Amino acid sequence: MRATDIPTLLLLLFLTCSCSMIEVHPYDTVVSGEKDINKKNIARIEASLEGKSSFRFAVISDTQRWYDETEDAVKAINGRNDIDFVIHCGDQADFGLTDEFMLMRDILDRLNVPYVCTIGNHDCLGTGKDVFRELYGPTNFFFTVADMRFVCMNTNALEYDYSEPVPDFNFMQSQLDNMPDNVGRTVFIMHAAPGSDVFNNNVESVFEYYTTLFPGLQFYLYGHTHALTVEETSYNGVHYCRYQCPNIKKRVYLLFTVGENGYEYEAVEF
Amino acid sequence: MKLSNSEYLVFLILLFIPLVCSGEGKDSLSMPGDTPVGLACESVTPHRAGKLSAGRGRERYEGRVQRYRNSVPSYSKIQMYGDMGLVSVGIGWDYGRRRQWETDVFIGIIPKYNSDNAKATLTLKQNYIPWSIRLNDSFSFEPLACGLYFNTVLDNNFWTREPSRYPSGYYGFSTRIRTHLFLGERITFEIPYEKRFFARAITAFYEISSCDLYLISAFTNRHLTPKDYLRLSFGLKFQIL
Repeated sequence: MRATDIPTLLLLLFLTCSCSMIEVHPYDTVVSGEKDINKKNIARIEASLEGKSSFRFAVISDTQRWYDETEDAVKAINGRNDIDFVIHCGDQADFGLTDEFMLMRDILDRLNVPYVCTIGNHDCLGTGKDVFRELYGPTNFFFTVADMRFVCMNTNALEYDYSEPVPDFNFMQSQLDNMPDNVGRTVFIMHAAPGSDVFNNNVESVFEYYTTLFPGLQFYLYGHTHALTVEETSYNGVHYCRYQCPNIKKRVYLLFTVGENGYEYEAVEF
Repeated sequence: MKLSNSEYLVFLILLFIPLVCSGEGKDSLSMPGDTPVGLACESVTPHRAGKLSAGRGRERYEGRVQRYRNSVPSYSKIQMYGDMGLVSVGIGWDYGRRRQWETDVFIGIIPKYNSDNAKATLTLKQNYIPWSIRLNDSFSFEPLACGLYFNTVLDNNFWTREPSRYPSGYYGFSTRIRTHLFLGERITFEIPYEKRFFARAITAFYEISSCDLYLISAFTNRHLTPKDYLRLSFGLKFQIL
């Protein structure tokens, strides 16, 4: 290489790097790459598990600013071939910055299996709500695998300050009104549990009552307080469980194996 | 546009910058006939009490005129990207023996993109340019420009202190105010005297910067590479005075 080539090479390197280094603002909501991820991945999950009566899914939560640990979790999940999909219980971004969502999405996109994400309270900061909506779609959504309905809900009421109904009972009611006959069991996925600091605790028992109206309520699945907890409880004559997934820093993911007559739960260290 | 207390504070700081800066440099600004304030004081003798108050009044007035002259911004700038907005326009003051210090104030715009509305930003920027290398009669090169800037987003979804609905210290950071550090280089073209219709000199610069939240993320993760936390910006400076 001649000495005169070096500046040219440096300039080329500079130009290639500089494209991703040009940014209007950390909260600018400029997103590139894959969007509307939940919708696309739900279609993949429902298609791949159609007609099956047993399946297995992993749960991770609170991955904010723990890119290294999230990457390890993705590798650990990819290292086994018995998982059908992954659920993320929210808090992908720590500060709600646009790039935090994209960095996390790019790590999660390396999963061999489809994943869905619910919104966490940290995801709502600044323009985070807009970026989440752009990348993942509506914050309340559902999907059905075998006879199990997964109802995924935004429960971060503190972040919405009455600007939107959180939790949205209209969404729950429309679910109840349009429940297909083949649904025999229901699971609720959310970021913050009823009773936690960001939940609208004025409606804590109303929310719980509503969830018991769903066919065969099995369990709640959530994150938020960064600890692994398992709680058995009953309300309105319905016996169900509450699983709290720890943050990814604890290097644990939850594994649920659902069969025709029940399910098993396991906390897996990686 | 509704201004919060913090924004008023920023405006107040901006108002006082010229006064603070006025004591230094700016030799080119003083007029030949101006009497330095310090000298005038020495010439006043105690027994001429009648003229003393008038003299002091004049001195105070002249001092004020001098400060007022010095507070005129000496250049304007336009900067793109750099996490302060798509485009930011600003004015500023240079001072120091070699005009090696610059303080800028910018107003910028973040277009709507995927959010509900476009947002305005304010930036307060402090520059230090230690060296200037003369290349020829018209061009000089500044191999290093460094400093920091504070950027604030004028939008109701952003807060300086957490709103009262949160438990105290819940998030522990401000979504509204970002602190950035930068390093850059500049090249200055001095416009020949007879062709100055707009500015005395034009400086083109680029900067590489990072903000507080990006640095925190970078320090705690091996996963992140420089392109994830370093940001590039470009700009022009039009030296008027």
